[in-house]
Amino acid sequence: MITNYISGIKARTSKYLDELATKGGQIAPKWQNLANYYDCVGPQKLQQCHDEVSRQLRENGVTYNIYGDPEGMNRPWQLDPIPMVFGSEDWEFIEKGLQQRANLLNYILKDVYGSRKLIREGHIPFELIYNHKGFLRQVDKLMLDGALQLIQYSTDLARGPNGQMWVLHDRTDAPSGAGYTLENRAAMTRVFPELIRENEVRKITSYYHTLRNTLISLSSKSNENPRIVLLSPGPMNDTYFEHAYLSSIMGFTLSMGKDLTVSDGQVWLKTIKGLEKVDVIIRRVDDLYCDPLEFLGESHLGVVGLMEAIRRKNVLVINPLGVRILENPALMAFLPKICRHVFGEDLILNSVATWWCGQEREKNYVLDNFDYLIIRGIYSDQNAVYGGNLSSNEKSELIRRIKTNPYLFVGQETVDFSTTPSWIDNQMVARNAVFRSYLVANAENHGYTVMPGGLSRSSPEQGVFMVSNQTGGISKDTWVLGKQVETPQPQATKSPRQQVKVQQQILPSRTGEHLFWLGRYMERSAYTIRLMRLTLLAYNEADSDIHVTENNVLSTLLKSLTHLTGTLPGFTKKQVLRKPESELLSLSTDLNRMGSLASSIQSFLSNGYAVRDRLGLDTWRILDSVSEELNQMKQSVTLTEVYHALDNMVIKMMAFYGLNIDNMTRESSWHLLNMGRFIESSANTCTALKALITKKFGLATDKELWETTLRCNESLVTYRYHYRSNLELSGVLNLLLSNESNPRSLIYQIRKIDDHFKDMAAQEFGQTHELPPIRKKLLEAYTKARLSDIEELCILNEKNQSYTNLELFLDQIVELIQETSTIVSEDFFNHTSSRYSMIQTTLLPEI
Amino acid sequence: MKYQVTHITDYIYQSPSSLCHNIMVQTPKNLPFQLVEKHEQTIDPEPEYLNRSQDFFENETVHFSIERTHSKLTATSKSWVSLSSPAWMAVDPGQTQPWEAVRDWLRTTEAMNDTRQFYLQSKHVEFADGVQEYALQSFTPGRPIMEAMLDLNTRINGDFTFTPGFTDLSTPVSEVFANKKGVCQDYAHFSLACLRSIGLAARYVSGYLETIPPPGKPKMVGADASHAWISLFIPDHDWVEFDATNNLLVDDKHIRVAIGLDFADVTPLKGIIYSAGSHSMEVSVDVRREEEAN
Repeated sequence: MITNYISGIKARTSKYLDELATKGGQIAPKWQNLANYYDCVGPQKLQQCHDEVSRQLRENGVTYNIYGDPEGMNRPWQLDPIPMVFGSEDWEFIEKGLQQRANLLNYILKDVYGSRKLIREGHIPFELIYNHKGFLRQVDKLMLDGALQLIQYSTDLARGPNGQMWVLHDRTDAPSGAGYTLENRAAMTRVFPELIRENEVRKITSYYHTLRNTLISLSSKSNENPRIVLLSPGPMNDTYFEHAYLSSIMGFTLSMGKDLTVSDGQVWLKTIKGLEKVDVIIRRVDDLYCDPLEFLGESHLGVVGLMEAIRRKNVLVINPLGVRILENPALMAFLPKICRHVFGEDLILNSVATWWCGQEREKNYVLDNFDYLIIRGIYSDQNAVYGGNLSSNEKSELIRRIKTNPYLFVGQETVDFSTTPSWIDNQMVARNAVFRSYLVANAENHGYTVMPGGLSRSSPEQGVFMVSNQTGGISKDTWVLGKQVETPQPQATKSPRQQVKVQQQILPSRTGEHLFWLGRYMERSAYTIRLMRLTLLAYNEADSDIHVTENNVLSTLLKSLTHLTGTLPGFTKKQVLRKPESELLSLSTDLNRMGSLASSIQSFLSNGYAVRDRLGLDTWRILDSVSEELNQMKQSVTLTEVYHALDNMVIKMMAFYGLNIDNMTRESSWHLLNMGRFIESSANTCTALKALITKKFGLATDKELWETTLRCNESLVTYRYHYRSNLELSGVLNLLLSNESNPRSLIYQIRKIDDHFKDMAAQEFGQTHELPPIRKKLLEAYTKARLSDIEELCILNEKNQSYTNLELFLDQIVELIQETSTIVSEDFFNHTSSRYSMIQTTLLPEI
Repeated sequence: MKYQVTHITDYIYQSPSSLCHNIMVQTPKNLPFQLVEKHEQTIDPEPEYLNRSQDFFENETVHFSIERTHSKLTATSKSWVSLSSPAWMAVDPGQTQPWEAVRDWLRTTEAMNDTRQFYLQSKHVEFADGVQEYALQSFTPGRPIMEAMLDLNTRINGDFTFTPGFTDLSTPVSEVFANKKGVCQDYAHFSLACLRSIGLAARYVSGYLETIPPPGKPKMVGADASHAWISLFIPDHDWVEFDATNNLLVDDKHIRVAIGLDFADVTPLKGIIYSAGSHSMEVSVDVRREEEAN
């Protein structure tokens, strides 16, 4: 395998280096052991390892999202079983270079928001800073305590043809990927345990320890036990997975802008208990989106008033706002000189050659070599383009823009990155790769800790140099080989476990609301699936000679579907009833139709993804497989396909049930999930009973409907066991309404709502003497069900051949349940209502 | 000249707001030729949070929040200001430096960053097509900078028609230029675009100006408004103010509140309101000479 690989490298005429094969066609020393291993195990085994790695990641629910693609949500994360490899000497150089660069950027950052001497003295051109959208005048002179302002820092590096590592990008605003890196390593460790041990691959965990220690020490001046939240843009963000993942392993509270509020110049987390003060915010929201009052007014991702809280030093935001100024690629052109000026030493790691058009000579160079350069705006919201790839129109337009505002653009050389062995389509091939490093400020030694590893990505095709997950790159674990240089591991000031526990008790209101609705949609989806299956079964078995409208069982089932899904008029219209196929198809597969099964499952999923940090790892996996199943189901074009999809779906939903029952700790989150679940199931039971069995047709039809009702409520077996007799309405009602030992009975479900509420209230608020309004409602419903006289409910109203008493009873219970749900929302989630809008002086000056 | 200024802003909510966070920039500056004798601000209802700070341009900003349910908000700023004639009134425009010398000097590190930032584009000041050419008709080669500026002021005043309601906050300079219509804010933004497009440093000035009633008619309270003009950096004379709307070299009738790159930096009052319904804002400004007020 390796010989083939090397001869493949030799055969190519391109100028880039390969990481494994030396110029002489030998195996580079750092690859020797691994190359032997690959040769030894052979392609078949390596493919198995590849599949195993993928399985590990899928099982851990590692996903990412692609923007602007409705199918792009929760894509499985791709990991190459062959890592990117660094030798220890190579790494020592890179590590030193990265530390120097981090210190230099930190110096520049302090200067830019401090005395601005570097600009004043001409070391950094004035236009390069003052014109950059990342230069936030609001944070001027606001500094964190201590020497380090740049806390988290990442670079994208690649090896050029001369063997040197080049910095392609500096990432300073809210660098991502550290969570994926940890997952990659975990998967690789499970699949290649010996390989990792034998090659002395360095551990990457010190990075995460240092991050936690730094945050605690930066905030501990004011607080012994700081509350740290991770501010995420939310489940639609491309790397939401790792926001949830990092939160759960680091003991941060995962939050979105609407979970936080500013009051009295402080930041507060809205929890179901009330407001809790926030000390530190790790942000994954871009700077300009962090506070609509002071930055982008249209942003709904941030926290209104956050900037003022920062100004008053009431909250610590990491990385600090304003740090994006360092992502300015034009700065790269000036770093070597600044480094000599500031530190009196040469810059160790070169940046990719950069010409800033704000200078006449450089601008001309860029314009003269336009076709051979990457043209990039100095602010990262503008896409980079290859000059040579543009049409002549695009080209002249871009040149015009450069000439109008030269200082907003740079030209950059294209680096021919080195290739490295990659496992693609069952074979080892050479692919160009980029490596992202991670650094974090170390509060103890006032320097930077470099993760000995990182996230590498290779392009799926050869010769593609813009690599990102958004465009289909494949990730690689990064192995730094050789003995770890002994550095004392920073001691966690608190044991991680202790800290996680303290944080877990906090339940943000929005999270609570998602859990509640997760329970409701879980139950709604499951109930709809059961009724839908029974209906489809009846539809398939129906005598085709008898018209649907004449078939009382079938038409009752169809109408009950309409009622359960709340999609009136639906089957209550004769013409729809006559030809039920398209309505059935729409009710099951139309994602955009409110109440349809597909939309309920979708809501189940989106509530689930929104709280994934609260659910166990196995649960994530089930969510992903439900998501896959839904994608299948919504493509169904026949009812047979739907039926099969329902079969699979119901199993997955049951698995979700089961896992949560087994795995979730009995905290408020668990109680809210179950309150949602039982509120939904008790309401569904009433709705379905009313639609299915409150009309009298004739004994045969009635019996069939009673049986269906029992099956829909999973109580047929219980019925037979209990009564061993013919079906009777009173028996059915007894079992489904008032039998306390049947977990499908209404009375059991109402009691469950009450139990869960009681336990949650005891945990969150302590005992109270007065009965809270929710429990009053539930008591009323419970008593009504308990006192109901089955004989009376079974009295037939001869006039309209209906069980009017039963109808009335079911209506009353549904109303009480709905009121209960409303009170839950108002009491626990109401302070999450966060509709806001901007007002400003718009009445124009009239002189 | 002594003035008393009353600036009242009302938020009117369709349905009550539970929380609002606001930033107010309404405190006049102390300058060599502008003395703020007294300044009072009242906010109703009383804010739960209020903090004064200085922004990047050294304007006083007031952050305040109302953190309980309220259905109306009124912010009132009252200032007593005494103005004198600025030193630039005595300058002979024809004796000032050629404008290119100023432009070139601004490009050197001798000029302060804080001055240089005012030759850059900003949110409301873009270099629209044709603006530079328009400016160069006044800024002919070698012409003294102040003379050229006064000429530009006169041309803008003549070419543009003051038209309330034609533009709003989001109207770009290019559109104002194409239609040659707008209000003082558009005149100011267009002047800034002209000056910055040829490399000169100029800033947006917000403030007030007394309106003189037609002869024989009483002055109406609230008929005054906030006003906007610009100041141009001339090295020997510092920042010199020009009002294109009135074709004036600014003297002792303009009360300065704040400076910035453009309107966005000096919005007199803006807020974020948590409320289910919509809302609107009403503003009234009254400027009167102190003698009359007594």
